[in-house]
Amino acid sequence: MSFNEWLRQDRLPHIYCAGCGNGTIINCTLAAVDSMGWKKEDTVFVSGIGCSSRAPGYIVTDSLHTTHGRALAFATGVKMARPDLHVVVFTGDGDLAAIGGNHFIHACRRNIDLTVVCMNNQIYGMTGGQGSPTTPRGCLSTTTPYGCTEPAFDLSELAIAAGANFVARWTSYHVKELERAVKTGLETPGLSFIEALVQCPTNFGRRNKFKKVADQIEYIKAHSLLKAKRDRMLEQGEPIPEDMYVVGELMKRSRPAMGIPKKEAAP
Amino acid sequence: MTRTEFWQGNIASAEGALAAGCRFFGGYPITPSTEIAEHMAAKLPKKGGVFIQMEDELASIASVIGASWTGARAMTATSGPGFSLMMENIGYAAMTETPCVIVNVQRGGPSTGQPTMAAQGDMMQCRFGSHGDYAVIALSPASVQEMYDLTAKAFNLADEYRVPVFLMADEVIGHMRERIIIPDSVAHTGRPAFVPGTPPFRPNENLVPGFPVFGNGYGTHVTGLTHDERGFPCATNPQLHAALVKRLVDKIESASEKLADFDIVNPDAEQVFIAYGSPVRTVQQVLHDHPDSSIGFLRIRTVWPFPAHALSIFKNAQRFIVPELNLGQIAREIERYAKVPVVSVPKLGGELHTPKELWKILEAGA
Amino acid sequence: MKLAIDETRCKGCNLCTQVCPYRIFKEGKHPNRRGIVVPELDRPERCTNCRLRHLYGRQLCGVCQLTCPDQAIHWVEEEPYEPHKVAIEY
Repeated sequence: MSFNEWLRQDRLPHIYCAGCGNGTIINCTLAAVDSMGWKKEDTVFVSGIGCSSRAPGYIVTDSLHTTHGRALAFATGVKMARPDLHVVVFTGDGDLAAIGGNHFIHACRRNIDLTVVCMNNQIYGMTGGQGSPTTPRGCLSTTTPYGCTEPAFDLSELAIAAGANFVARWTSYHVKELERAVKTGLETPGLSFIEALVQCPTNFGRRNKFKKVADQIEYIKAHSLLKAKRDRMLEQGEPIPEDMYVVGELMKRSRPAMGIPKKEAAP
Repeated sequence: MTRTEFWQGNIASAEGALAAGCRFFGGYPITPSTEIAEHMAAKLPKKGGVFIQMEDELASIASVIGASWTGARAMTATSGPGFSLMMENIGYAAMTETPCVIVNVQRGGPSTGQPTMAAQGDMMQCRFGSHGDYAVIALSPASVQEMYDLTAKAFNLADEYRVPVFLMADEVIGHMRERIIIPDSVAHTGRPAFVPGTPPFRPNENLVPGFPVFGNGYGTHVTGLTHDERGFPCATNPQLHAALVKRLVDKIESASEKLADFDIVNPDAEQVFIAYGSPVRTVQQVLHDHPDSSIGFLRIRTVWPFPAHALSIFKNAQRFIVPELNLGQIAREIERYAKVPVVSVPKLGGELHTPKELWKILEAGA
Repeated sequence: MKLAIDETRCKGCNLCTQVCPYRIFKEGKHPNRRGIVVPELDRPERCTNCRLRHLYGRQLCGVCQLTCPDQAIHWVEEEPYEPHKVAIEY
């Protein structure tokens, strides 16, 4: 058994550019789903619009590829109507944080039993590289040609503040850690949010001095700060550099959740 | 045993939905449709259904479509401003052929307009509101009884044709209280059966594909992109897109005579009223006050697809008089088919036409 | 077991060259028929999964396969070793 059994082999290769990290995240997510021992007929993948959201089209289960930003609202409908189905949502930074921001915070508030995997490439890739809410300050994109002037959104912090039960952030470099985090997310009742920083060589890297895919991976790797280390630095009063991404399991708690099958919900 | 009740229109609609087996309601409060959501919130959990109040109308219709793919009969209710927000996902439902029922208790617009007054200003929006070409079914109730009957019917049509079905009520019908006779049971037609192993979007003879309910291992991919019979995106194939959109429209338009639901009064009359929704009641009053056979009346329940063939029943018609609570949206549609002049009698502001107003129009033409 | 790269899927991003702890993947030099420079394998018999999978009875390491965004890396079972008759000439 491997994640390959969850992929529609006849649909591959997928549409992603060479070096795009989305494929890596799909692998890690499917490997985690596979390790849960779920049946394919009991699993539904839902997505919105964007590069990340093309993922369900390559997965053998029932899947909904919906409208821009609304994936979580569709997933809420699926999960509430059939709580016995396992619902996994693929989404991107523009899909989730910009147009779907309201659905995101409310899905976290409801703590509905979904697993949300956000492929955060910090750019609108599908439309050709426009700035997104997570584009770091100073980065170039087609709509921020003089450098992004807006502060970026920290999606994991947002999910924690809004009430998600499980929040983790990893990158496309940390495949094993990411797979484990997704698995923990799938096991956790309530909303699990896993943010995966991914490289976008075509639209982000190309405009931001990453000539090769490897350069961007190296950057992401070098700018990942483990949560444990961050906490230590905070204790010692050291300043946290602004351009670091805190990675690790950021939150695990058991707030009351929605959309859990009745027999499981009973204490 | 049938029973008699004295209900508000919105309650009747909610009860009609429950009788039809609606088990999912995703909604957002908006005057004048809120009573439907309130009633569903009270009743659905007791029937094993799900009521969820979403964060906005975009999410309401999205959750309804999501629930519909799990096989549940699902609905939402809203009014003008919320209806505008729903347009995006109504297009998605049309493209993905998802059965769903949307009740629009119309109020005065545009924008926030008149939340507590009646209007019929969304009749064109419900047909053409989302981008691209598609077709839908819209029903228009004129009494509390019809709020019940047509809501139940809407679920059957949505399932049969795999299309969003609108119940285009208005504030007057929604908030009016009337006697209503509750039938023992309502007709229940299921969704077209899906044959496992066949492409999920291959149409049957009536141009509607079988419905592959999620959770059965069919592995259906549903996308709002232009898709082939297997459901996979093929957005750059011109022939495929043309054929898909043509089918989505044809499956409804070609059934327009079968879907048509109208009443005819005095088919030999020269002056003929055409009405749907609450103006029907004013016309009925005119006919009641002047019980002669010189006034014809075509009352339409299925507004979309428009039952054009009904016009030819009035062979002696000299003109069609169309009272509406908008600036003549359906009157213009009637003009497309009518061979005689069409007189639009628009009325804005939220009040119904008075019988006197309509009588004046009749006299002016006589 | 043997590492293999599916040339019909590989897009030549060379991410595998970065993640393998044994540096088995090397950047390729010649474009294939589709114009893609597929990485080459440098002594793939060193791969942990190739050597020890059957012994442990589970997937080992596998970082290259998880990382490969194009699902192009996999393992194939090798033909069982067949003893050949060797004629020794005196």
